[in-house]
Amino acid sequence: MRFSDQFEQRFTEMLTHYPTKRSVLVPTLLYAQDEVGFLSEEVIAEIASRLDLTELDVRNVISYYSMLTTKPRGKFNVQVCRNISCLLRGADELIEHCEKKLGIGHKGTTPDGLFSFEHVECIGACSWAPAVQVNYDFHENLTTETMDRVLDEYRKKVQ
Amino acid sequence: MPILKNIAAIAKGMSITFMEMFQPTTVENYPDGPGPLRGAKFQERYRGVHVLQRDENGLEKCVACFLCAANCPANCIYIEAAENTAENRISGAERYAKVYNIDYNRCIFCGYCVEACPTDAITHGHGFEIATFNATNLIYRKEQLLAARPAHLGANPVFNSAEVAGGAPAEVAPGE
Amino acid sequence: MADAPKLVNITVDGKPVAAPAGTLLIEACKTVGIEVPSFCYYPNLSLQGACRMCLVRVEKMPKLQTACTTGITEGMVVVTDSDEIRQARKSMVEMLLGNHPLDCPVCDAGGECELQDMTFSYGAAESKFIELKQHRDEQQWSPVVYFDRPRCILCYRCVRVCGEGMDVWALGVDNRGAVSTIVPNKQDHLECEECGMCIDICPVGALTSGAYRYKTRPWEMKHVGTTCTHCADGCKTTLGVRRSDTGMEIVRGDNRDKSGINGDFLCIKGRYAFDFANNEDRLTQPLIRKGGRLVPATWEEAFEFVGRRFKEVLDREGGRAIGVIGSTRTTNEENYLLQKFARVALGTNNIDHHRTADFPAFAAALHGKSGATASMRDVYNASAILLIGNDPTEEHPLLAWQIRNNVRLHNARLYVVNSRPIKLRRQAASFTQVTSETDFTEFLGGDESLASFATREGWNAVRDKLRAEQGLVIIFGSEIFGEDIQALARFAASVPGAKLLCLGDYANSRGAADMGLYPDLLPGYFPVSGAGKFHQEWKITPAAPGMNIGQMFEATKTGQLKALYVIGANPVGRLNVNPSTLKNTFVVVQDMFLTETAALADVVLPAANAYEKAGTFTNTCGDIQILKKAGEVTTAKPDFEMIVRIADAIGFDVRKLVPFGHGVHADMGQSRGAQSGEADQHAVWLEANGLEPKMSPFDPVATLDEIQRLVPGYDVSRTELLAGNDQHTSIAAMGPGTVQNPELIVPAKNNLFSSGTLGRYSRTLNSVIENKDPEPADAVPTD
Repeated sequence: MRFSDQFEQRFTEMLTHYPTKRSVLVPTLLYAQDEVGFLSEEVIAEIASRLDLTELDVRNVISYYSMLTTKPRGKFNVQVCRNISCLLRGADELIEHCEKKLGIGHKGTTPDGLFSFEHVECIGACSWAPAVQVNYDFHENLTTETMDRVLDEYRKKVQ
Repeated sequence: MPILKNIAAIAKGMSITFMEMFQPTTVENYPDGPGPLRGAKFQERYRGVHVLQRDENGLEKCVACFLCAANCPANCIYIEAAENTAENRISGAERYAKVYNIDYNRCIFCGYCVEACPTDAITHGHGFEIATFNATNLIYRKEQLLAARPAHLGANPVFNSAEVAGGAPAEVAPGE
Repeated sequence: MADAPKLVNITVDGKPVAAPAGTLLIEACKTVGIEVPSFCYYPNLSLQGACRMCLVRVEKMPKLQTACTTGITEGMVVVTDSDEIRQARKSMVEMLLGNHPLDCPVCDAGGECELQDMTFSYGAAESKFIELKQHRDEQQWSPVVYFDRPRCILCYRCVRVCGEGMDVWALGVDNRGAVSTIVPNKQDHLECEECGMCIDICPVGALTSGAYRYKTRPWEMKHVGTTCTHCADGCKTTLGVRRSDTGMEIVRGDNRDKSGINGDFLCIKGRYAFDFANNEDRLTQPLIRKGGRLVPATWEEAFEFVGRRFKEVLDREGGRAIGVIGSTRTTNEENYLLQKFARVALGTNNIDHHRTADFPAFAAALHGKSGATASMRDVYNASAILLIGNDPTEEHPLLAWQIRNNVRLHNARLYVVNSRPIKLRRQAASFTQVTSETDFTEFLGGDESLASFATREGWNAVRDKLRAEQGLVIIFGSEIFGEDIQALARFAASVPGAKLLCLGDYANSRGAADMGLYPDLLPGYFPVSGAGKFHQEWKITPAAPGMNIGQMFEATKTGQLKALYVIGANPVGRLNVNPSTLKNTFVVVQDMFLTETAALADVVLPAANAYEKAGTFTNTCGDIQILKKAGEVTTAKPDFEMIVRIADAIGFDVRKLVPFGHGVHADMGQSRGAQSGEADQHAVWLEANGLEPKMSPFDPVATLDEIQRLVPGYDVSRTELLAGNDQHTSIAAMGPGTVQNPELIVPAKNNLFSSGTLGRYSRTLNSVIENKDPEPADAVPTD
């Protein structure tokens, strides 16, 4: 299995940061996921052998973290915070709106493979609630209208 | 006057006898009475021959947990357990009693087995006519102890597979 | 030895306790008989601190502390039982029961479930929770492992024992928090050694055994502690037996009391492969060949027939026309009796067995060097181990367990020398790969003049390290034989305190060798020619060495050998003998199954297996252990009884064979004068050892008496032996031995899932083999 040069560079560097190899597992998985889109069987096997772990170990860690996934996601992963601040400022409506608009539920992916949707725990943007994270970008102080705009912008990006 | 005293005593005694002659009888007319019990009457709590009960789906309630056998002071219960399969489902749980014998030579009808049963599978019925000339007849097999299957389940294939030849008399379902 | 560790004084529930520094509080409490409950804590596994059952109050600490993760410190004052603690524990049980199904009547762990016990102790049977329990269907992970997820209390014992104890790492934990779940390494099934340790260690019924599944309940069984009949390690096993139509049926194997050399360890064979006894192909009555076919006969008929035919051969051609082949799975008593039968009743040295290690050469190399042999316990306690050849993970699972855990818990150094990269190299401080058999010799000899030495400079470093070790245990497999054992013993002599261990393959391979199933050696490795003591005792002993197995089958071809008596062995199948070579030989076979050999026999006698009789086994280290009768089938007889019956049928006085009834009428020498030497030596020995004479010719203990009296090294404590404890016999105390022809040593080559003839008839082992993935298991970390 081949990763990009950037990944390899990061991986090699990370190994020097920790006393044991398995410590780099979580960042490695994140980088691999960013690159491949999800953590395929192939990725799991490769990382396990690089870090001298069993595939079982790697799978256990993946299942622990909700941001890691073994199933393909859409190009844009829409994560709506539903913790207390966002909830008070209308996260529920936002969730309902997104579900209707995208036609998918929690952890679903649109048929065109463009969007995935999930609700997540606090993303640390309470001051600007309700907040949504799409991939690594934040969108704050959202209403159903601004949410529509955000989604449309992403859709445009591809076209 | 001891004679008079004696006559008085006899008269008093006989008066009770004569009075009772006009009271309604309390003696059961067993075995010449009417009905399937031939005149025998029971209190509900009477502890007779055991009955292994079925659940509302007609499956056996017994899951072969062996607690009745463990609790039995006369050591008269013998069980062999087996696993239910999708094709051959006998009880409601994963396990059922493949063999369930009660030795009535030894059973003292104490009811401890009924107390122990976690699934209310074993109960005391009202059967009492178990006298026999041959002691081996007193070892009752599961087929003899099982409750009759409910009539409305007669056509259930799952249920039929549980039915064993020589089992308790079954009420015939309509159309069977 | 290091100095005794410093003692720390603490007070538990008002009792003073002194324990070495570093002891965990939970263990310190145990030493004064105070049990602190726990689910996740398990001795010798890493600490988890997950179950919170072991909460105790430690003075001056703000909250309740977990006794399993708290080390003791000087002056600690601990309370293990108070209302506060009981309430805390009760709440823990209530939480655990929150989603635990109450299907105890169906659950296989019911009756020996730790959660049940705790619920009874802390009375948390009534719950505040009203939520519906989450049900998940039971999963079958392998033919022997079932997982019922809702029953799991997430103590992680299984994960730890599989990884740390077994070094298999086949179980893990998926997800987090309340939805955590134990998962197998292949997502929906297990790819592992199928040892069943996870099932044994599970405190509840989450992991249950496929072999024991729904068969009975714990209190319905009788538990018999005996010795395993599979490999040569001699694990103690507790067999759960239950009455059945044919006698007593074995329904479960475990090591219930965690005693013996194996502690809590058992491999798949010890735990599940007792089911050969119930195989439908098992012989149920004696068979006699009539008109070319084996037809059923009565026992009397069969013994009479065998006796008559043996007698005919004896009268016509003498004992040299009869060959005897013994077993590596019969007891010491039976092996001893068999060779005595051959030598005394038949008058022949034509006796042999399936040799899997060169024990005579081992005896020769260590003759007189007492203390140079290692026991199975030594392997667990040695500070360093050298393993030459063999793959214990496959062939000696207990030995591998001892080595692994010695390295893990005692930081022992393991040096592996092997031609293959065996799994134990992962525990090794050094792994030396050799390429050929001569390499082994070279490695040992350290002959620096050899031309190839330049390429092997690492060897010298390893040898130097080994020489610096204290208390080294050297373990070698069948790759080392003959003169090489001498070389190895010389090397061991150069290391102070080094002990040796020779690996044979079957349950009583060592016993068969010790008991003299050799054409040239008597019991205790004394040569047949110089049969001093045995000659005195037995009066007649043939002095010329007899034929070995190979020679016997050659002799049947030429017609030299007229009769062959085979006990619990399958030489025809193993040596690929052409059936026609036996057509003029009268063959008697005692076995459980119609093996290739039995199929050619003239008389086949159904034999009881090691789980169905009493006696002793000697494991490959020389640890002798008792065998107790567990199972019973009414259709087979122990080999001991059959040998005696055949001797009787020949017309031989069985009193000369089994010393039974001796001493009852003996005059202890008074009438003939104590100095005359005519006293009944056996009776004198019995008297001196405070033992009763045995009254039955079928009592193997009578023969054990004779073994203990005549075979040096076997004079171990009878009390310990009968109590079920292992006793180390020293091969160094025995006779001079001899170097054997290496061609006669054929390793069994059993792996984890095979066990000679027994394995072929074990349904569990076969089902596991059929379910194995064709590709090997995950490559696992090497560091």
